Amino acid sequence: MNWQFFLEVLMGGLLAGVMYSLVALGFVLIYKASGVFNFAQGAMVFFAALTFVSLTERGVNFWLALAITLAVMVVLGIAIERLVLRPLVNQPQITLFMATIGLTFVLEGLAQLFWGSQPHGLELGIPDEPMQWLSESTNINISQFDLFAAVVAGLLVAVLAIFFQTTRIGRALRAVADDHQAALAVGIPLRQIWAIVWTVAGFVALVAGLMWGARNGIQYALTFIALKALPVLILGGFESVAGAIVGGLIIGASEKLAEVYLGPYVGGGLESWFPYVLALAFLLVRPEGLFGEKRIERV
Amino acid sequence: MADRVTLHEDIGTLEADFTHLTFATEADVDAFYDEADRRLAATGRRWYFLVIYTDCVIKPEVWDRFAARGKRTNIAYGLGTARVGTSAAAREAIREHARRDTFRANIYESRDQALLALGEMRKRHEALGETGAVGTAQTGATAPILEVQGIQLSFGGVRAIANVGFGVNRGEISSIIGPNGAGKSSMLNVISGFYRPSHGQILFEGKDRTHLPAHAVARLGFARTFQNIALFKGMTTLDNIMTGRSLKMKGNFLTDALYWGFAQKEEIAHRAEVEKIIDFLEIQAIRKTPVGRLPYGLQKRVELARALAMEPKVLLLDEPMAGMNVEEKEDMVRFILDVNDQWGTTIILIEHDMGVVMDISHYVVVMDHGAKIAEGTPGEVKADPVVIRAYLGAH
Amino acid sequence: MLYREAGQFKSTYAGDQQVFPIRQDRIAVVCLLIVAFVVMPLAANEYWLSAILTPFLIFALATLGLNILTGYAGQLSLGTAAFMAVGAFMAYNFELRVPWMPIVISFVLAGLCAAAVGIVFGLPSLRIKGFYLAVATLACQFFVLWALQRIGWFTNHSASGVITAQKVVIAGYAFDTPATKYMLTLCIVAVLAVLAKNLMRSETGRMFMAVRDMDLAAEVIGIRMMRTKLLAFAISSFYCGVAGALFAYTYLGTVEPEAFNLDLSFRILFMVIIGGVGSILGSFMGAAFITLLPIFLNSMARPIENVLGIALPPGLMSNLEVIVFGALIIFFLIVEPHGLARLWQIGKEKLRLWPFPH
Repeated sequence: MNWQFFLEVLMGGLLAGVMYSLVALGFVLIYKASGVFNFAQGAMVFFAALTFVSLTERGVNFWLALAITLAVMVVLGIAIERLVLRPLVNQPQITLFMATIGLTFVLEGLAQLFWGSQPHGLELGIPDEPMQWLSESTNINISQFDLFAAVVAGLLVAVLAIFFQTTRIGRALRAVADDHQAALAVGIPLRQIWAIVWTVAGFVALVAGLMWGARNGIQYALTFIALKALPVLILGGFESVAGAIVGGLIIGASEKLAEVYLGPYVGGGLESWFPYVLALAFLLVRPEGLFGEKRIERV
Repeated sequence: MADRVTLHEDIGTLEADFTHLTFATEADVDAFYDEADRRLAATGRRWYFLVIYTDCVIKPEVWDRFAARGKRTNIAYGLGTARVGTSAAAREAIREHARRDTFRANIYESRDQALLALGEMRKRHEALGETGAVGTAQTGATAPILEVQGIQLSFGGVRAIANVGFGVNRGEISSIIGPNGAGKSSMLNVISGFYRPSHGQILFEGKDRTHLPAHAVARLGFARTFQNIALFKGMTTLDNIMTGRSLKMKGNFLTDALYWGFAQKEEIAHRAEVEKIIDFLEIQAIRKTPVGRLPYGLQKRVELARALAMEPKVLLLDEPMAGMNVEEKEDMVRFILDVNDQWGTTIILIEHDMGVVMDISHYVVVMDHGAKIAEGTPGEVKADPVVIRAYLGAH
Repeated sequence: MLYREAGQFKSTYAGDQQVFPIRQDRIAVVCLLIVAFVVMPLAANEYWLSAILTPFLIFALATLGLNILTGYAGQLSLGTAAFMAVGAFMAYNFELRVPWMPIVISFVLAGLCAAAVGIVFGLPSLRIKGFYLAVATLACQFFVLWALQRIGWFTNHSASGVITAQKVVIAGYAFDTPATKYMLTLCIVAVLAVLAKNLMRSETGRMFMAVRDMDLAAEVIGIRMMRTKLLAFAISSFYCGVAGALFAYTYLGTVEPEAFNLDLSFRILFMVIIGGVGSILGSFMGAAFITLLPIFLNSMARPIENVLGIALPPGLMSNLEVIVFGALIIFFLIVEPHGLARLWQIGKEKLRLWPFPH
């Protein structure tokens, strides 16, 4: 058993998992704050990345493009709240979920309508090469870029966690996630809160989009990454920021390990379904996820 | 001892007069019961028992024997017991024992009241066709149709029900009352098989059914309504009630797919039954209305119809009159009484309206904070100081 | 005025339980059937038959299947295309390995295989609900597609992964023109639609709807969760399987996994939502709508170009199509969650009074 190779695969998987977590974070934010399962998160990632890259390709400065894209995401968030969420305020969760499926299609179509459908590359200045000193000393290859993504994700999570736990807005967000009507009754400005949440989710989507785009290029297939975030959420629980990270790590690692070690026996291509089946098995044992809240149905 | 036991042929009642009597030793207890058993055996039939406890002293050390002999005599020769205790202390003491040993206290202040209660009991038994023949041991009035014993239920760390036990007689209306949060709905959920109690037993017609899941419980003959209406909002009234016939329907999806023939005949036959219930509950006008559009009171009636469509042996009603105005309540009470009268359905009722409970119940169980604090006939419960303290206020 | 039902009384329960109790409805249905069975094959051109009507029928069948599962039984599924794929591949394999078997029997057996797969992937529904179940069905979608591609037996070890479907021959008569393929599809879909309607208006349908609306109450009635949910999966997957087989044999002409991707699953889900959840008629309306919409949009391209005097970029229409789909989903969910079927019902109610306002 080649331990170095195993570690390499494991680390690669974990770091890929961090990338999944970035996308899952956006889901968790919106679910925590509005109880809506936003299937369109992947499309938002795609939309943000595509907008950013299209601006920079047209010669716009990196930071300016970032600011503009963020502004666009804010506008998008407000528009979504007004046009999609507000009319569906007290509908059952499943209706909202299906509305976000529709939203996914709208966003994907819009993105490609504005910016075209060719793939784009993205350069963030950090090469996707193994870290020199690590590979020289231990013969383990770990990409610098992956590490950078991990650090970024960690920072993001820390900031969000602090935000939710300590600020007044964070508390209000948690109240809204529990019960819209009760939150309204206590005087929490529902609409503002939602606009804020979707904006933050848009920002997270932008970061995720940049990371993924730099790694894999920005193309339509990016939206499928978002689908991978679903097993992450199931493992980690829909309401937990920590769960998104842990779930992402587990999914990323298990996906890579399965592909490398089990793949040869079954002809490869495991990563297309392995995370989902893993999540399915997990659901049967612990439906609320590792960090999720158990829901008791009262009659 | 012979003079203490009188057999009243005309009302089929054995009167045991313990006035000023003291049971100090086991020999005393045996003396009485031997005499009673001898006389009863000679008659060859079953009797109602009227026991007078005025100024009667039963020493604690002989109580167990007293209770054991009493149970034996009841099972062998009894149809039902009413007790008389003129002093509050005596009644308290008897109720205390009844609580611990799970038998019905049925204790009244005066002899006349007790005789009245026995008369009611007799009428009911005659309506149900119960005979007085010796040898119909575990069936008949003495064995309850449903018994729960020592039920305990917890949610997480919260104790919802703590060691509750009581019995429900066939064909009677029994009510469970208590302040909010007392655990009444939880008790009903345990009885209908939704919640598994962590301890305790549920006996139906003498057989243990503690661990049966909800649909198996339904199969045994239980139907229920819910506090927050549990109708199928996407279907019409008629369809909702037809779902109640589900257990009675034979056939499978293949016969359904080929509809014309077997499935159609079944549909029409069950539709006829359902229409009878619709007539009974006077909801003809809203047959085809989706239930989501109905006002609250009518929804409750439709839920009752659905439960009745199951032709249950035991009907569990969880606050059937909540949120209704006076007229709707009267209608509902009328329906419940009609169901009990016409079909002899045993009914267990959770209700907050004291007037209704006291009027229509044969037996009342009072719960508070997950425990049973009292039980008895409405008259007994109304006068019970523990109940008054916990719940009823000055009456 | 035209739609008055005054004077049409029912004096038996059987009469009351008819599918079309109103005479005008019966007349309309008969006309529709005549158009479908007689007029279309004779009058419609090849393009309409092969590119519009046949796929419409096939999608309607798949929508029926998904509607049974999601609309009537309330189990959200994103794996519809996978069940269709199973149907297509198994039909191919039955035809290939049991050549003497009539092709319709192959279709039925393929449907049964799809039903078996449906039961397996429906097992999680006993423990999980709502969009958790949707994610579980995603597992089904991806796994089944992978299995069909990787396991050589299914594709008969074809190198390219694309298999040509065999010709449809029944009793020596070859169904190879658009008209004959259309008729075959129409007959199969019509029969299955009638069976579906029967199922949904009898006890099976009520059990499904009870599970959908409030499964705890359904248990209290005595309905067995496991049996009912698995039955819903089985019947739904059967329908999707047959639809998949038809998709390969009477429409595409090939059996390829790529045709049964996640996009198709979503498309059929959209047909269910737009057409009307829990409605047989709605399934047909939704399928018609979504099948016709791209054609409508494409036909608008030329006039718009002429009016505006510019050449529209090539990808525009397909992107617009996607946007319009998504927007319509949101629109219907907000305005009329019960879809076109309910709008149709409301229309009929108004028609009862027309031309009077009330």
